[in-house]
Amino acid sequence: MKENIVIIGGGIAGLEAACQLLDLGYKPIIIEKSDHLGGHVADWNCLFPDMTPAGDIVSALISKAADANIFLNTEISFVNKLQDSYNIMLSNGISIITRIMLVTTGFSVFDASKKEEYGYGVYDQVITNKDLEHWFNTGDDRRVNDSAMNAIGFVHCVGSRDEKARNSQCSKVCCITAVKQAIEMKQKFPEAMVYCFYMDLRMFGKKYEDFYISAQRDYGIRFIRGRVSEVSENIDGRVIVKAEDTLSGKPVKVTLDLLVLMAGMVCSQDSTKVANMIKLPLDSDGFLKSADNVADIIDSPKEGIFYAGACTGPKTVPETLAEARAAALKIHLYIMKK
Amino acid sequence: MIYQGKQKIWADYQKEIPDNHWFYVRSCIRQNFFPGAEKMFLEICRGLLKKDIFETEHHTTCGGIAYHCDTIPQETVMTIVARQFALMTEAGYENYVASCITSFGNYIEILETWKEFPELETRIREMLWKACKREFNKPKYVAHASDLIYKYRNEIAARAKFRLVNRFTGEPLKVVEHIGCHYAKMFPARGVGGAEYPYVLCGMIESWGGNVIDYPERRHCCGYGFRQYHVKANRGYSLSNTYKKFESMEPYHPDFILTNCPGCPYFMDRWQYVIAETEGKTYGENGYGIPVLTYEELASLVLGYNPWDIGLQLHQVAVEPLLDKIGIEYDPKEKYKGLNEKDLMRPELPGVLRCC
Amino acid sequence: MKLYDELLKDYRAKEGLKTCINCGTCTAICPAAEFYKYDPRKVMDIVQSRDEEEIEKLLKSDFIWYCGECMSCVTRCPRKNGPGLVIMALRSLSARLGYFTCSEKGRQLYPLTRLLTGNILNYGYCVYPDTFKWEDHKESGPVWKWHLEHIDDSMARLGANFKGNGPGILRKIPQESLDELKSIFDVTGGTERIETVNRFSEAKAEEMGMDMEEYFRETFEHTSEGHLNNED
Repeated sequence: MKENIVIIGGGIAGLEAACQLLDLGYKPIIIEKSDHLGGHVADWNCLFPDMTPAGDIVSALISKAADANIFLNTEISFVNKLQDSYNIMLSNGISIITRIMLVTTGFSVFDASKKEEYGYGVYDQVITNKDLEHWFNTGDDRRVNDSAMNAIGFVHCVGSRDEKARNSQCSKVCCITAVKQAIEMKQKFPEAMVYCFYMDLRMFGKKYEDFYISAQRDYGIRFIRGRVSEVSENIDGRVIVKAEDTLSGKPVKVTLDLLVLMAGMVCSQDSTKVANMIKLPLDSDGFLKSADNVADIIDSPKEGIFYAGACTGPKTVPETLAEARAAALKIHLYIMKK
Repeated sequence: MIYQGKQKIWADYQKEIPDNHWFYVRSCIRQNFFPGAEKMFLEICRGLLKKDIFETEHHTTCGGIAYHCDTIPQETVMTIVARQFALMTEAGYENYVASCITSFGNYIEILETWKEFPELETRIREMLWKACKREFNKPKYVAHASDLIYKYRNEIAARAKFRLVNRFTGEPLKVVEHIGCHYAKMFPARGVGGAEYPYVLCGMIESWGGNVIDYPERRHCCGYGFRQYHVKANRGYSLSNTYKKFESMEPYHPDFILTNCPGCPYFMDRWQYVIAETEGKTYGENGYGIPVLTYEELASLVLGYNPWDIGLQLHQVAVEPLLDKIGIEYDPKEKYKGLNEKDLMRPELPGVLRCC
Repeated sequence: MKLYDELLKDYRAKEGLKTCINCGTCTAICPAAEFYKYDPRKVMDIVQSRDEEEIEKLLKSDFIWYCGECMSCVTRCPRKNGPGLVIMALRSLSARLGYFTCSEKGRQLYPLTRLLTGNILNYGYCVYPDTFKWEDHKESGPVWKWHLEHIDDSMARLGANFKGNGPGILRKIPQESLDELKSIFDVTGGTERIETVNRFSEAKAEEMGMDMEEYFRETFEHTSEGHLNNED
């Protein structure tokens, strides 16, 4: 079929939608800014709740999507609105005329250094969830390798549910990611004390609660209900965390060899850039605004423009894949109706 | 510690401080306990750097301590402050500089509250008119006196006679900086460097040759706590907080502590004396304490002023070991003399804390 | 009269109490919470509950008087609350209603008011050498004792204008300026606050069988067991 379908973003949402559209007989175009496909998931090691290797998911999607027109290292320079279509000029000089765009620009990881009191980028032994996945994948991080790992802490809600950080939304996946990473660290360092500092544990997904039970029962991970207020560094370079154990109503101070900040999801700059070019509205949470947040999450308010994945708000991997499939079907029906 | 990480944050919190023409208001606590510091502020800004700093005898306390001891209503403190602004307006100034951190926080908080609740500002204007027949413009800029010394730090460095270097080892002196809580904890953007890693004192220390120490309880309050000190029955609160800070900084062996708040140097100085006398513990070398300086005292020392002319004799912790390290000469016999060599005797020596 | 409504008339309560999620960020770094049996999070939770009975208990308790108003909590709250500001509003209401005399730490408002408003109205300073007695402040050390004994000479050596005319350190603040301060107190409720604190304190002193000097010493110096975190 000749209809041009432009997918903006080659993460798992874009790839999954492309796979479905290929199956339906279309030849979608994927525009990806970076030099590889798979987005954030490609940087991850294992996925909850069954510890599925993230690389397997990504490589399966990439091989299934191989017949799409894929432009790597490519950005959108500008978009012109024509009568009933758009002219998209790419940074590689190619221009595409299309009626249909699928926005799969995803999210950005919250810049943890903005929570100054946590000392990311200031104190050596403070890392993020993303840094830890990188270490799981490559084994390369002197902060983990060069220090004894006797005590490890995880801070939930870093840049999430935080009006001061200008992100009041819950990033949804950090709670379960912290539990997952805590278990993985305990597996690697069985002698270490592992702490999770949380405000609420949002174990909403399939088998998440089982994961949590296992973390407590099988791994002896300590869950302290209190938001971390301050991190400092002592003379040995270890980090000291201050929180309140709100269940006992007492301030607690814990000295750790490694502190992992669960940086949340924020709307990516690429999403806002695309939104500006096509004049898509942003929702009050800073993410792209859907036609309706209950019934039409994958519809933008503009004809022919659709969303899938975390560009409209924090999503899990299965949610993102489901939206991508739904978006592919929606696009197919849109073309059929013509 | 990743120094570049701090530099990145510092860069985000630089404020444009006007260079000249200031209306100056004094600090209650500093006039009592560190009179030399306020004298040196004017000496350095006016005498040395030729800045226009205006003071009127009609200004009073801002009421901040009474307010934070919960003894006066918010309207009262706001109207006292409004009167200070009226004095500034009448004198033809727009830049307002406070010697006190409680005052500085008070001014900023009041201006921000008025911004959010303009009807309150209107009421305070009416009250000021009723009480004093005065009117005011709000300052264009409110600074703390340490902001000014920070701004002039490189000019001071250019004229310095001494560097913050240990002359016996050639190493930079290790300096703990302590920022008054009300400097930036309420409104981080109003402080040089923000609330978490304030740069206002670090900038001076770096400019004058020292090394800044970051220790775990750096951000913790000195323990003043207003009513927790002014009421005798509560002073354990104040003491225990200072104690906590000293225990935390002890392993770093700081050469001295630099402060920008009126109360903090008093508490960190005097509670060291109390800890020594009650617990037998001292934090400096050879039974001495760790000297605690105000930023004007430090600026004066590097500029080569006589330590006894700037009031270092009013500290309980002896400053002499620090003067020796920097290489500043002083006459021990002059320390407690009045004007014209008048003999004023000398304070008793404490039992444990070593003093000169 | 609803206590919650009265409280919310105070601008500090308006600024300080938005929506609390009980996360404990404030308590974690609170100097008072480490020393006293105190938890600012619980203060926020009680006020937010709008439970009149609980708020009244709070206003009559020692609990609200433990805070040192350092405002460290304001920096960190993820919901932009200011527990320290809410405390100030609670204390103000407790003073107005006379509830402060119900607790030991609350009763300290009497000596504080006498000392601080006395210093302001008599001298124009919050702290003044004539009233900062070494006997009440032995922690100020032998150096302060010496300084007070030689205050005119010691101040002169440091270039102060102690009790002098014109500007300068610890100058005599002109009478017309002190008169203005008094007038400000009269117009803004400062004088009324002093009278209220005195009235309720006098009644309490009578109940405790003390004259006002004894009551001053008692409230200024005495502390009972049970306030501290490390006590059972």
